[in-house]
Amino acid sequence: MIYRIRHLTRYDYSGPATLSHNESRMLPRELPWQQCLSSSFSITPVPVRLRERIDFFGNRVAYFSTESVHSSLEVVVSSEVQTRARPAQDIFSTIGWEDAIADVAGALKSGNRDSIDARLFMLESPYIRHQQALARYAEGCFGVGRDLRDALMCLNQRIFDEFTYDAEVTTTATPVLDVLASKRGVCQDFAHLMIGCIRALGLPARYVSGYMETLPAPGQEKLLGADATHAWVAAFIPGWGWLELDPTNGCLPDERYIVLGWGRDYADVTPLKGVMTGGGDHELTVEVDVVAVNDPLTSGNDLNFGK
Amino acid sequence: MQPAGPSEHHKDLLGDYQQKATGRGPSDQAGVFDELLAQGRPRAHWQHLLEELGTLGADVLAARSEEAQNLLHENGVTFNPYEDDPGQLRSWRLDCVPWVISTQEWAQLERGLQQRSRLLALLLDDLYGERKVIHQGLLPPELVYTHPGFLFSAADTPSQISRPLLIFHGTDVIRDATGQWQVLGDWTQSPSGVGYALENRITLARALPGMYREAPLKRLAGFLQAQHRCLASLSRGRREHPNIVLLTPGPGSPGYFEHAWLANYMNFALVEGDDLVVRDGQVSVRTLGGLDQVDVILRHINDPWCDPLELRPDSLLGVPGLLQAARNGEVHIANALGSGVLEHPALAAFLPALSRYLLGEELILPCRETFWCGDADNLATIRQSLDEWIIRDITKPGKVFRVDQLGLEAAQQLRYDLTARPHLFTAQKSLQTSVTPGFNPLTRQIERQSTTLRFFSQVEPDDIHLEIADQRYRVMPGGLAWVGDPGSALSKSRVVKDIWVLADSPQPHISMLRQAHGPILVTRDGKDLPCRVAESLFWLGRYGERLDIRSRLLRESLAKLLQEDPQLGNTTLLPDLMTALGVAPDPEELPELLAAISPNQRFSREYILARDRMLGLLSDDDAFGLPGVFQNFVRNSRAVRDHLGDDSWRAINNLRQRCNALSRAKGLVAGQRALESVVIDLAAFFGLCNETMPHHYGWRFLDIGRFIERLLGTLELLKLALLTAKQPGIPLWEVVLATTDNFTVYRRRFRSQLHPSAILDLLLFDETNPRSIGYMFKRLQRQVSRLPSHGSSSYRNLENRLIIQATSALHLVDINMLADLEHSETAREALNNLLDELIAPMAALSNAISHSHFSHVEAPRQLVTMNVSPGLDTPVTEQLRTEQNQLSGRRAGR
Repeated sequence: MIYRIRHLTRYDYSGPATLSHNESRMLPRELPWQQCLSSSFSITPVPVRLRERIDFFGNRVAYFSTESVHSSLEVVVSSEVQTRARPAQDIFSTIGWEDAIADVAGALKSGNRDSIDARLFMLESPYIRHQQALARYAEGCFGVGRDLRDALMCLNQRIFDEFTYDAEVTTTATPVLDVLASKRGVCQDFAHLMIGCIRALGLPARYVSGYMETLPAPGQEKLLGADATHAWVAAFIPGWGWLELDPTNGCLPDERYIVLGWGRDYADVTPLKGVMTGGGDHELTVEVDVVAVNDPLTSGNDLNFGK
Repeated sequence: MQPAGPSEHHKDLLGDYQQKATGRGPSDQAGVFDELLAQGRPRAHWQHLLEELGTLGADVLAARSEEAQNLLHENGVTFNPYEDDPGQLRSWRLDCVPWVISTQEWAQLERGLQQRSRLLALLLDDLYGERKVIHQGLLPPELVYTHPGFLFSAADTPSQISRPLLIFHGTDVIRDATGQWQVLGDWTQSPSGVGYALENRITLARALPGMYREAPLKRLAGFLQAQHRCLASLSRGRREHPNIVLLTPGPGSPGYFEHAWLANYMNFALVEGDDLVVRDGQVSVRTLGGLDQVDVILRHINDPWCDPLELRPDSLLGVPGLLQAARNGEVHIANALGSGVLEHPALAAFLPALSRYLLGEELILPCRETFWCGDADNLATIRQSLDEWIIRDITKPGKVFRVDQLGLEAAQQLRYDLTARPHLFTAQKSLQTSVTPGFNPLTRQIERQSTTLRFFSQVEPDDIHLEIADQRYRVMPGGLAWVGDPGSALSKSRVVKDIWVLADSPQPHISMLRQAHGPILVTRDGKDLPCRVAESLFWLGRYGERLDIRSRLLRESLAKLLQEDPQLGNTTLLPDLMTALGVAPDPEELPELLAAISPNQRFSREYILARDRMLGLLSDDDAFGLPGVFQNFVRNSRAVRDHLGDDSWRAINNLRQRCNALSRAKGLVAGQRALESVVIDLAAFFGLCNETMPHHYGWRFLDIGRFIERLLGTLELLKLALLTAKQPGIPLWEVVLATTDNFTVYRRRFRSQLHPSAILDLLLFDETNPRSIGYMFKRLQRQVSRLPSHGSSSYRNLENRLIIQATSALHLVDINMLADLEHSETAREALNNLLDELIAPMAALSNAISHSHFSHVEAPRQLVTMNVSPGLDTPVTEQLRTEQNQLSGRRAGR
């Protein structure tokens, strides 16, 4: 599939800002199943500097600074991305979840580099601490000797079934235990929760930030997470790699999911960060449009960007 | 009685020390390595020094110790976070007996220290580059990635220009009870202590010139010059004379003395985060003349606090965009951001293997035995005998746990954490050091001590652009030693020592007076003066003058209290004086306040109230109390530490003692005396500023601050005395004349007759009188017209217009209109108008100057606020929290 993505972020300040330094992680990264055909920034006011680099996790980061006096900052990223199906998820060798823990724990002795590298994602991170309550919540899915993939999919489904999507109740910084208690949240919360569960058991999991196609297939319900950035989870399966899971929708991401980047949690892949001087209070507007170019519903029409 | 031979003199000094060493004293130290004695006799490398000490004798040594102490005190040498809290104020004692290392021992130690620097430099390069040591399983990832000093954002691009470099390195070392060297830890961000080591050497060389002049010891001079060369060559190819600044967290930081000292010694601008700004990718200092580009930053702020964009978002100390500028090679930072990961306490357990892997060498200097709890076997052992271990949390640098010293709850929490997050902890056994001799000036004997040493190394300046593996390090032949329990922090120690590294032959004494070294000083008080410094000097002037006016006024008020009839109440001057001092009670509360006072035979309630309120000013910390004003004065003075001369600084130290003594002054007479001392010391301070500061922009701002404050103070006082007083008349005029120190002048000119228009002439119009308004306007006009101006407008700026406005009002007034104040309502009204016309522009002038010249830095704000759980990732150390608070406090204090 080829998607055209337009991601607009605008901050309206109550007062003039004189200087702002920003860092964005809004450019799709290259993956075996994902190719970024083009991407461009349009920033108002025009930044003095715009520099791209690759961060520790391999994500594309753009730094820019704005130095003229401004009362709003608008960042529009337009990209075109081709996605294909993820690597076949059904033919990998099975591994029991306890064996997986042993594999990662013994990675230093076995010298398995992928498993060593995965250990970073077992650790606590700014938003996700090790909590026994999370391990207890996951227990039901992780029965003795159960295949790791089955257990992960069970947990994915369980969060989808038991939690209510509710954009009103959370901000980006909701503590994971609050989400567990209220059983409500948005995709970030569910991703953090699920990562917390997996890590609490002693397994690596990382946070994936990206988009998903917003138009529902005929006859299907519209998926949640449309019109905004989306977030899901990838869990490490020793000897195979990272399996993506989307607890917000209870499914495994497929070619309709476009990956921006990943990290330990939201803090590592915040789409737009900034520090400014002045500005006062600010109001945030985010618009995301993901349009399939060769989808029969939209092909041939002008792309209906924006609102 | 035969006089003892020269070699026997030291026996008196050593009496007790020797007894204990030979087992005749308490035997707890039997078998412990003794630095000074072997089999009860002095070791060869101590012979020379012992003879010198013995010749001087205990009395002279005690006197010289005191002299060294005075020198330290006068120079304000301290290393403590409580500078502004007089109750906590303390400084070091400098032991006149140094730590002595023989030539042979030094050769071995030096090799070990150099190897350690090379090893850590390679490790740093790998951790932020290929990370082979992690991929190959030499260092567990959970050990590296959980340390607050590992900066993910510094690790992103392997090809980036500014890969973290280890340029300066400090190593804490002890000699253990068996005589082996052991490394306790490393300082790899901004090793502190070089300045103290040099200052200690200078101080002792002054206090004990004979002992130092011809001593066969290696000299320290040269090390800091090499440091300067290192920094200058970092920015190769940019500019011939790179602009190097020293970035400090500010006066609230425990190391601020050293930051100011180093900045002065090496002629770097001392800047805080606020002074720097990243624009157009460049880092610049905000100066009076605009932005001044910076090439190299010697930073003394810890890693996580340096850039709120990419590192800790809640940092007020850092500079947004700094990491990006460094990444692009627009600025060089020493040591580079990210080097803090080398301070990781668990590395000690892995260094021997890392040395074989990275250097192909065996580690020369062993580390203190350290166990990483992330290893399951280690953890099992440690849990079995937890109370024998010293536990460290790697996310909380400097914090040490001992189970037997923890409360029940805390101990339980520690046990839980050890199970849940074992990789965050290390365990060590307690240590015993060798015995070192030290002179105790109280007992006048040489006593047995436990000492920790800090050594400093740095890249050879010529090697800085070589491959890291080819870089050589040089070690300062000396360092800083401190007395305390093994492994205790330098900042907690009370006694520090010089370290002597012996040379084969006597080395000529090289003067290390700071003026003699460094590149030729180009004055820094020109337009490149940072705006923050200008602002602090301005407020230093204002608070200093405010302290002066209030001290004088209070002194005169206390004098009046003594003269007044204590049985009278509101018919006296006291209510007016309370108004002038800002302590007049609210009229509505007055009856209640008076009722609460128990009257007695001698004093009326009104008198007691006035007396209590006035004496209260001697101890109040608020905006009105003198200690409160002084605190603001001293806070601003510390922020410009590197712009004040040594003598001015001594005057401030004296003033501090005076102001601390104020609250202890009991009674009216003692209060008067104490205030007189404050007035005299303030005059000394400002006098020294006038005599020693270059009369450039910095001094002008100080002067402008003073005279704006003096103008406003005098005008308010005149208004009260001549117009609004409840009891106008001669006694109050006397107070005005005495407060402005014009009593004598007045009497000489007008004999003993007090007359309002004569006072007016003296205090308003007489431009030859430095206390008159007319004189002050003239002085301000001169100073303000010489400030740097932005743009090339041919019109007068607001500051000049305000002064002209006020001066004209004064010059154009019809003196005759003001005559007969006592009887004519018209005259009083005319004077009232005049005073208002003078006060308003002066109040506006302060704002106008601030607007035109000072940087108006708002704290940078985050676009996205992230409530990351505290204590995780990069914990707030208490110290930095304090600094941040003090920083914000100072902002608010203006």
